[in-house]
Amino acid sequence: MTVSRNKLDRKDIDKMGLLSILEQSCFSFERMQAPGFVYGMIPGFKKIYGDNTEEIAKAMSNNMDFINTEPHMATFLQGLVLSLEEAGQERELIKNIKTGLFGPLAGLGDAIFWFTLLPISAAICCSLSSQGSVFGPILYIIIWGISCFSRIWFARFGYKLGVGAIEIISANAAAISKAAGILGVMVVGGLIPSYISFAFSESFVAAGGVSVQGVFDGILPNILPLGFVFLLYWAFRKKGVNTLLLIVLVIVFSIIASYLGIM
Amino acid sequence: MEITLIQGILLALVAFICGLDSCWEAFYWFRPIVVAFFAGIALGNVQIGLAAGAVSELAYLGLMTIGGTVPPDPLMAGMMTTVLAYTTGQDVKTTLGLALPFALVAQWFGIMCNTLFAGFLSPLDRAAEKADVKKFNGIIYLALAIKAGLYALLTFVSAYALQNGVRAFVDSFPTWFIHGFEIAGGLLPGVGLALLLVVMLKKQNVAYLFIGFIMATFLNVGNVLPIAIVAGAIAFISFQNDMKDKKFEEALEAAKLGGSQNDGI
Repeated sequence: MTVSRNKLDRKDIDKMGLLSILEQSCFSFERMQAPGFVYGMIPGFKKIYGDNTEEIAKAMSNNMDFINTEPHMATFLQGLVLSLEEAGQERELIKNIKTGLFGPLAGLGDAIFWFTLLPISAAICCSLSSQGSVFGPILYIIIWGISCFSRIWFARFGYKLGVGAIEIISANAAAISKAAGILGVMVVGGLIPSYISFAFSESFVAAGGVSVQGVFDGILPNILPLGFVFLLYWAFRKKGVNTLLLIVLVIVFSIIASYLGIM
Repeated sequence: MEITLIQGILLALVAFICGLDSCWEAFYWFRPIVVAFFAGIALGNVQIGLAAGAVSELAYLGLMTIGGTVPPDPLMAGMMTTVLAYTTGQDVKTTLGLALPFALVAQWFGIMCNTLFAGFLSPLDRAAEKADVKKFNGIIYLALAIKAGLYALLTFVSAYALQNGVRAFVDSFPTWFIHGFEIAGGLLPGVGLALLLVVMLKKQNVAYLFIGFIMATFLNVGNVLPIAIVAGAIAFISFQNDMKDKKFEEALEAAKLGGSQNDGI
C-alpha cells in the first residue's frame, strides 16, 4: 500500500520558518538541537500525512538524532527535509543528507552571522550607544530582527532546492566563507584602535623623564592595543589558554597596573 | 541608588524575556547591548543602560556558543553591569569587571540546563514515536520556562534581594582597586576581538586586518561603518574573482578532456 502525501504550499513553509525561531529550545549536550529541529517541522508533517499518525511518528522520530548547526542553516535544513518528505524520499536518505550537511552549513552560517554581521552591527551600535543615543540598541534590534525573520526566506530556499541543495552549497561555500572572512577580519582590525584603551599614564616615565606612552605613540599610534590583541591571540591559539583564565589574568594585570600607578 | 521591589520585578521580567531569546539566539535580545538597554529602562535611567551596553557588548563579542560550549553568560553580564553601575554609582567600565561573577553563575546554570534537558530526550522520543504532538511541544515549552525562569530568579536575587550586601562589598574596595577594574574594562574588549580572530584569521586574509587597523587609526572616522563598507567592497571583489577562477578552471578541464579525445583519434 502506498502512503498518500499532501502537497505543502507557501504558507506551510513560511509557518515552518517562523516556528524555526524556537529551534534551539530544549538544547542539551546529548543531542543538542534535535527537539527544536523536529518541533518546527511538525505542522508540515501533519499536513503531508493528514490522519496517518504512523507516518507522522516515523517522520518525527527520524529527525530526533544529534544535530547542531547555525540556526538560520537549521531553518534551511528543515525546509529541505520537508521537501524530501513531501517527495516521499527514503527516510534513511533524508537522515544522511541532513547529517552530512549540518556541519559544513554551520561553518557557513557562523561565517556570515557570528563573524561578520555580529562584529559589524555591534561596532556601529556600540558607537551610537556610547554617545548616549538610544538608536544604538534600537538599530541593533532592527538589524537582528531582520536577520531573524529572514528565516522565512531560508525555509523557502531549502524547500525549493530540495536535493539540488547539496551541489550548490558545496560549490559556493568556500568562496562565500573566504569573502566573509575578509570582511570580518578587516572590521576587527578597524575595531582595535577605537574599542581597546591600553595606554600608560602620563606620570609613568622612563629614565631621563621620557613618557613611556610618548615613546609608543612615536613609533605608531595605537600600537599597544594592536600588540595586546596579538598577545591574547597568541595565548589562545598557541598556548590554548582557557577564556575565563585569560579574562581573570587581564583583570589581575589591570589591578596591579593600577596599584603601581602606571596606567 | 536603591533598587525598589517594582524595579526588581521589572528587571526579572527583562531577564525572562531575554532569557527565552538566550535559548533561541534568534532576536539577539540576549546580547548585552539590548539587555542593558531594557534594564536601563526598567531602572528609569536609560543613559546608564546605553553606556553599560556599549562596554559589555564589546567585551563579550567573541564569546560564542559555537559547538555547544557555554561561555560566561552575556545576558547576565549586560544586566549586572547596568545594575551595579546604578546601585554603586561606579563607572560602567568598573562594573563590567564586577559583573563577571554573576555572568559565571549564569554560565553554570546554563551548563546545568544543558545537562538536565538531556533527561528530557527519552520522554520526547516516546512522544515522537506516538506522534503525541501535544506532549512533545509541552516538554519543549517546559524546558523554555525552566531556563528563562532561572534567569529571572538569578536576576531578582542578585539585583534586588542581595543589593545591600553587594553595595557594601563594593564600597569597601580601595580606590586603586576600583581603578584597576576600570582599566580592565578598557582592555577586556581585546579578549572578544582576539577570540574572533582565533576563528577568522587565516593567511589569506591577515593583510586586511592591518588595512582596517591603519584606516581606523589615521582616518577620522566616527564609527566603523566606512571601514565595513570598504571591507565589503573588497570581499565582493574577492568573491567575484573566485567565481571567475572557478569557471576558468572548469573550462580548462573541459578543454583538456576534449583535447585528449582528439589525440586519441
